[in-house]
Amino acid sequence: MDILKFALRKLIGGIPLILGVTFISFLLMVYFGPDKTYELLGKNPTAEEIAEVRHELGYDQPFFKRYAHYLKEMVTLDFGHSEATGEKVSSILKRTMPISLLVILPGFILGNVIAIILGLVAAWYRGTWVDKTIMVGSVIGMSISFLVVIIAFQILFSSSYGLGWFPVRGWEVHDIPSYLYYVTVPTLATIFVALGYNTRFYRAVLVEEMNKDHVRTARAFGASPQSIMIKGVLKNAMVPIITRIMFSIPLVVVSGSLLIESYFGIPGIGKVTFDAITGGDQPILKAIVGLTAALFVVVLIATDILYRVFDPRVELK
Amino acid sequence: MPKQLSVYHTRGLGVFLLVAVAIWLSGCHQNDPAQDKVIQTASTVDANGFKTYKHSMDGTPTTLDPAQAATVYTNTTILNIFDTLYSYKYLKRPYELKPNLAVAMPEVSDDGLTYTIRIKKGVHFHDSPAFPDGKGREVTAEDFVYSIKRHFDPKTRSQGAWLWSGKIVGLDAWKKAGSDYSQPVEGLKALDRYTIQITLKKPYPQLIYSLAMGFSAIVPKEAVDYFGKEFSIHPVGSGPFILKSFDTSRAILDKNPNFRQEPFDIYAEGYDEAKHGFTGIKALNGKSPPFVDRIIINYIHETAARWNSFTKGNEIQYTSVPKEQQNSVIASTDPLKLQPWIEKNFHHLFGMEAGFVYSGFNMADPTFGYSDDLTRNAMNKALRCAIRKAYNWDQRNKAFYFGLGTVFPGVITPAVPEFDPDMDKESITLDIEGAKKLLADAGWNADNLPVLEYHSTGGITYRQFFEQFRGFLKKIGYPVEKIKFAPYPTFGEFNKALKNRETPYFSLGWGLDYPDAENTLQLFYGPNESPGSNNFNYKNPEFDALFEQARIMQPGSERTKIYRQLNQMVVDDCVVISGLSRNRIYLWHKNVIMLPDREILGGFFMKYVDVK
Repeated sequence: MDILKFALRKLIGGIPLILGVTFISFLLMVYFGPDKTYELLGKNPTAEEIAEVRHELGYDQPFFKRYAHYLKEMVTLDFGHSEATGEKVSSILKRTMPISLLVILPGFILGNVIAIILGLVAAWYRGTWVDKTIMVGSVIGMSISFLVVIIAFQILFSSSYGLGWFPVRGWEVHDIPSYLYYVTVPTLATIFVALGYNTRFYRAVLVEEMNKDHVRTARAFGASPQSIMIKGVLKNAMVPIITRIMFSIPLVVVSGSLLIESYFGIPGIGKVTFDAITGGDQPILKAIVGLTAALFVVVLIATDILYRVFDPRVELK
Repeated sequence: MPKQLSVYHTRGLGVFLLVAVAIWLSGCHQNDPAQDKVIQTASTVDANGFKTYKHSMDGTPTTLDPAQAATVYTNTTILNIFDTLYSYKYLKRPYELKPNLAVAMPEVSDDGLTYTIRIKKGVHFHDSPAFPDGKGREVTAEDFVYSIKRHFDPKTRSQGAWLWSGKIVGLDAWKKAGSDYSQPVEGLKALDRYTIQITLKKPYPQLIYSLAMGFSAIVPKEAVDYFGKEFSIHPVGSGPFILKSFDTSRAILDKNPNFRQEPFDIYAEGYDEAKHGFTGIKALNGKSPPFVDRIIINYIHETAARWNSFTKGNEIQYTSVPKEQQNSVIASTDPLKLQPWIEKNFHHLFGMEAGFVYSGFNMADPTFGYSDDLTRNAMNKALRCAIRKAYNWDQRNKAFYFGLGTVFPGVITPAVPEFDPDMDKESITLDIEGAKKLLADAGWNADNLPVLEYHSTGGITYRQFFEQFRGFLKKIGYPVEKIKFAPYPTFGEFNKALKNRETPYFSLGWGLDYPDAENTLQLFYGPNESPGSNNFNYKNPEFDALFEQARIMQPGSERTKIYRQLNQMVVDDCVVISGLSRNRIYLWHKNVIMLPDREILGGFFMKYVDVK
């Protein structure tokens, strides 16, 4: 009951945040975003035709009227149609978001789980060759551009120049084997890059925890390494770990991964978002910004609740 | 505790790994032109004989509504879903029109004002829930009338109305009166179920070309009403293919089982054994297209992914050669010869674009353009001409187009019949001394030369264009600090600046809408000034008068003579630095029977593609 009350209170408290984010984003969209007028016009347009298109796009409306309309769209969850494709924004999101989730989730989960394991190993063996090898790998993962990793993995695993085991591009998923066939290389690329940043972060958090008195006591008590690392270190380090993982979720859900989707020909939300930003497709942008803001509020609440689950000393106030 | 590795060893391991990856990656490209490489191309005919052709393009259409068919990506897709009255002959070059949905070429009245066109009977739209019983109904002349009227309905957001605006009797008035579809248009009539009549205000010889463009594709009113704005992703036409699915990565088109049976006459389509024998097209003579059951058009912007997919053998079957791969594909440029492994594994076509790239001055800007001060006016003209003389087309061609581009003087491109191969080449000849003399004679020096803002879309290639241009001007003594790059984040923003006359100097490309020099000369027609297509804001009453005279003339030597005069005027006034038509190399798997073409807003060829 406490948790429910807390969630409700936080949800109400999140409304100003959503309003603030949407207002600033909309301001940027309107005054600094691309103007679609000339993109939608044919050759040799007259002043009248230019005015017609601007009217159709709503550019001739006062800012606050447009913002009020945006808020109405947020409440009704009806963002209208894409200015570029004509498709309903809700249909676009419904079609592309599950695909992006299917593509990104394995890499996201494995990238974090493996990084935590490597972080634990590196922390336990800190200062030794094991730690240094893991850290070198981590630096490599951080140093190589995601784009280079994608191209290299595509050549290595998919192309006729490499092993050719997986498709270069495409997304014809209808069962588990076909899913694994299309998702493996994008996942490997995601993990490779994610491991770099995540391992380094988790190692730092875990090493800090290992220096605490309770860990020294546990060691003195003769507890097994597994017990010390899992119960004494990992559990106590969960707050920063949860924070990192949870705050990545909205971006994973809404933004997808433009590079992965573009290079592997996957029709997800990342490509849609990129096209909307560069093309000034405001209905899609409005939906994505609003959705991201709302998700952040939900994630904030869930994060606070999870803190409490892992550390009972945390109070939900 | 395990033995510790020294920092030296740890770093050594890192360096070793990086070097190993780098060597492997570079090795991949080194292996590229392996002369004995054999690409195992998989058949795309399944056990049941179901044939699939997998095409690729370097961009994505945002819409499949013919009213917004302004790009080659949209046209390539929709010209296979919808019917147009006319289309281009598959193999004939220079391009030549032929009837498509029309029974024959139009009957044109003696005064060139009335076009009567009969359409084929028994042609049906694709089945769609938009129709009362779900079954596609017969296409009639009224559908064509509706499809053109749609462009003049503001709700349609047409990008093709310019083709007919001010040309068809009563059409603009119909729009002004509120675009009421129940009201007739005097110059656009269905005389009966199968006969269309178009009446023009003035002769418009390019009308027939407009009837082969995606903009004029015939759409059923029921589907537009039923799908509303989403008609753009649920296109319903009467063409050879039916859209199965469409997203940002690909479109899947399935064969229209009810498509009219019209035997493929390869000779009428321009077949020439010497030129086309290698394609295998001859075997299709007499059969009725479409020949494949499914076309998958993959939209792949990323050149590395496109190349890897193409050379894999079982994915896309066609690609243009990306710039980064030209070294591994081309053995020599003069004469053009491809690497043996390419010749062995793929069919290829070396084709010139029906368009060109050019740079130009905004004449409405007194920095380089027109000035009320006659002395400055003359100085500006000398400055423009000097900049043109400093332009090194050969270097541009070699640096960015592998030396394969075709450089030509003026704006009448080699792709149109009015092109003059004997035109004076002075305007594309590098002349540093001549440029310096022009500047000095006109009174220009390093101190009084104006700041030159190079407006362009941002990005590495555009920055490289700029740096090269700055290098050209440095050679004639133009202070480099006075030549500034003014990039825009997107083409849309750059285009907006162009239309608002904010770009004193700009570089652009133009793809022909139809094979008639009028299409490029209209870029200099005064009334087309910004926001129209005359981005130069060039105003020359003599040019305008001659253009108005020529644009209503039927093709012939007299019109060609005037076109060439107009071309010379633009060159003499140093308004534009032009031009270069890019030559592209297209590759396709040897199990595909076709001759691809993406020019003149292409896509017609896909109807004739077969696979084995």
